[in-house]
Amino acid sequence: NGHKSLSGDGVTRTKILLLGLRRAGKTSIQQVLFNNLPPKQTFYLETTMRIVKHTFDTVIPLEIWDCPGNITVETLGAPLSQFATMIFVIDIRDLYNQPISKLVEFIVAAYQANPDMSLEVFVHKAEKLQEDDKIENFRQIHERVSDRLLDIAPEYEQVQLNFHLTSVYDHSLHEAFSKVLHKLVDSLPYLEDLLNVFCANSQSPKAFLFDTTSRLYIATDASPVDSATFNLCCDYLQMLNSFGTLYKSAAADARRPLPTTPPPSASSTSSPSRGPTASDPGTPTGTEGTSTPNATTLRPSRDLFYPSASTSLHPSTPGTTLTYHLITPQLALLALLPTSVYEGRRGLIEFNVVFFREGVQEISQVEKEARTGG
Amino acid sequence: MKKKVLLMGASGSGKTSMRSLIFSNNPASLTARLGATIDVEQNHVRFLGDLILNLWDCGGQDAFMDSYLTTQRSTIFQHVGVMIYVFDIESQGMNKDLEYYRDCLEGLKQYSPEAAVFLLVHKMDLAREPKNVVFEKKKRELEEASGEGAVTVFGTSIYDESLYKAWSSIVHTLIPNASVLSRHLTTFAAACSATEVVLFERTTFLVIATSSPVTPPSLPGATAEQTDLDRHELNPTRYERTSELVKAFKHSCSRVREEFHSLEMELYDFTAVLDEMTRNTYVLVIVHDPTIETAALKLNIRMARRKFEELQGDSLLS
Ligand SMILES: Nc1nc2c(ncn2[C@@H]2O[C@H](COP(=O)(O)OP(=O)(O)OP(=O)(O)O)[C@@H](O)[C@H]2O)c(=O)[nH]1
Ligand SMILES: Nc1nc2c(ncn2[C@@H]2O[C@H](COP(=O)(O)OP(=O)(O)O)[C@@H](O)[C@H]2O)c(=O)[nH]1
Ligand SMILES: [Mg+2]
Repeated sequence: NGHKSLSGDGVTRTKILLLGLRRAGKTSIQQVLFNNLPPKQTFYLETTMRIVKHTFDTVIPLEIWDCPGNITVETLGAPLSQFATMIFVIDIRDLYNQPISKLVEFIVAAYQANPDMSLEVFVHKAEKLQEDDKIENFRQIHERVSDRLLDIAPEYEQVQLNFHLTSVYDHSLHEAFSKVLHKLVDSLPYLEDLLNVFCANSQSPKAFLFDTTSRLYIATDASPVDSATFNLCCDYLQMLNSFGTLYKSAAADARRPLPTTPPPSASSTSSPSRGPTASDPGTPTGTEGTSTPNATTLRPSRDLFYPSASTSLHPSTPGTTLTYHLITPQLALLALLPTSVYEGRRGLIEFNVVFFREGVQEISQVEKEARTGG
Repeated sequence: MKKKVLLMGASGSGKTSMRSLIFSNNPASLTARLGATIDVEQNHVRFLGDLILNLWDCGGQDAFMDSYLTTQRSTIFQHVGVMIYVFDIESQGMNKDLEYYRDCLEGLKQYSPEAAVFLLVHKMDLAREPKNVVFEKKKRELEEASGEGAVTVFGTSIYDESLYKAWSSIVHTLIPNASVLSRHLTTFAAACSATEVVLFERTTFLVIATSSPVTPPSLPGATAEQTDLDRHELNPTRYERTSELVKAFKHSCSRVREEFHSLEMELYDFTAVLDEMTRNTYVLVIVHDPTIETAALKLNIRMARRKFEELQGDSLLS
């Protein structure tokens, strides 16, 4: 696997190249997705003068190269074959020669260096245009790139190019980057299987495995993704992320107790136990299946505390409930469930989550061992 | 019970924008499409049960202002509960703004001498750094212009939670006996082993009352609950941030034709339930004791509903 290489921290990272003319929005994309920069703040970003390599750890470790606008194949300083993906960012209003020539130049070079590299074009700042113009410009950019490639040589007809409409001001960027990411996760089919099993057993019409901080989805079940549902999940995750620290207490004894010894690592033999429960006898409790957390840590293990949340989206039946369960320190399962199922069969849902979590943790472990050469 | 709220200020200062955010749940990004308000746009907003806010959004172009101060004078300024005057931090014509503002104060003194006055230094997101210095300077300038009348000044922006802080406190002054609600929330918090309980109005998600009335901790009258809360040193902007977060999520839900109904969370640092309390309110219960389950909190909320329906009715009758 030529496109994965050992980086400074001893981890084999999958490399993504982020290209495009000056002011196209490359740094904005990187910062909004991986550094939690509010979209409005991208206005203050300074022009990138040198290549900046950003690492990001999710289900697989990534290294994203944010390049200055004037970079060329020669000045990149690394062979193109090292990269698993090339993302070319083009401003949707740029229908001119220059950005398209640059894009074609890189496509040709990338295709020659590694025909398997995924080539992605982000037609960016899409929110700036009205729907009709948006579609028209998108189509024109697509067409011009294809024509130019064909002009160079007929063999380029077979180059697989993926075009996406993106903007930092909505979730189109998250959706597009998620799709880019899916091609890089070798274990995707296994994750999808686990999600399918979860959905089937929980009567869930849709479930996503999200990276919590970037709000990219790593995998989803087999049912089609509709953008509206995806957006809702993204917004929900954003709200939970913000709530997470909002009511944090400074009083140490109020926090969930931290384990004093390092927890045992996740093992495949663990049973879906919820750990010891301790409920205040003085307060009314009663619904089956709500887990009482007893410990928290950054390393997941079976008896540890995993944050969860749910929101009901309609007061009356049938109604939908949107659930959130942390699966690993970075990943969370978001699922749509019929409210009747969530309320009536909570124990079953919790059981399915535990089963799902064990599966994902096992897969992550395998990925990790492969990456560290362990 | 109707309360008249005047929303005044120069054209373009942001009055209609804030109204559409707080009362219509529109996102900030859509406000750019608003046109200038022609004359007065009146809105009746059922706030809490029988409390109806009668919101007068007064278009701020000079011609309208002049007419408010002359021919429409009594119509505009009589029976006012609260006047909110909005100043654009970037305003190019501060002298003219202040002149109109003083004239409005006169009108108010003449027809509604009891009315509370709130001044919003708006579009704070555009202010130069350091923003707090810019704000303090503006605040002093406005207080001076207000003469001896008591005014409350807030810095606001539609792009962050500051708008909710200002409006929560404005609305708070319109709810008679909010302190009774507060006292019962304190009792309810104790019953739930909660660190804090917050009551929100249902549609605006403005804060109506909390279990922790704002008394400086140094005062001798501080209760045990308050000192317990102090120990947690919770984020001072948590109420308005919560309003903002929930409002944003409600908007997301409406975009997919769903309706936000309730939320429960068991996170690393706390457990919380946000659920309907009465027909017009939502309650947020925050617990830091890890042994308390959300199911218990939900049960307690269900049991407290009747009491709060009654209380809410009472607090408005008096
Ligand atoms: N940057 C920034 N812009 C704002 C803010 N609030 C409102 N605006 C913008 O200010 C412009 C004018 O807002 P309006 O709400 O129509 O102003 P108005 O006070 O109702 O004006 P009149 O109806 O003519 O009196 C809009 O383009 C808003 O998007 C804010 O907090 N920050
Ligand atoms: N309208 C709009 N502006 C964007 C978007 N993404 C980035 N920008 C703006 O484009 C400008 C250039 O962005 P930057 O990330 O520095 O571009 P780079 O040179 O390619 O890294 C900044 O002013 C951003 O605010 C977008 O999706 N929509
Ligand atoms: Mg207006």
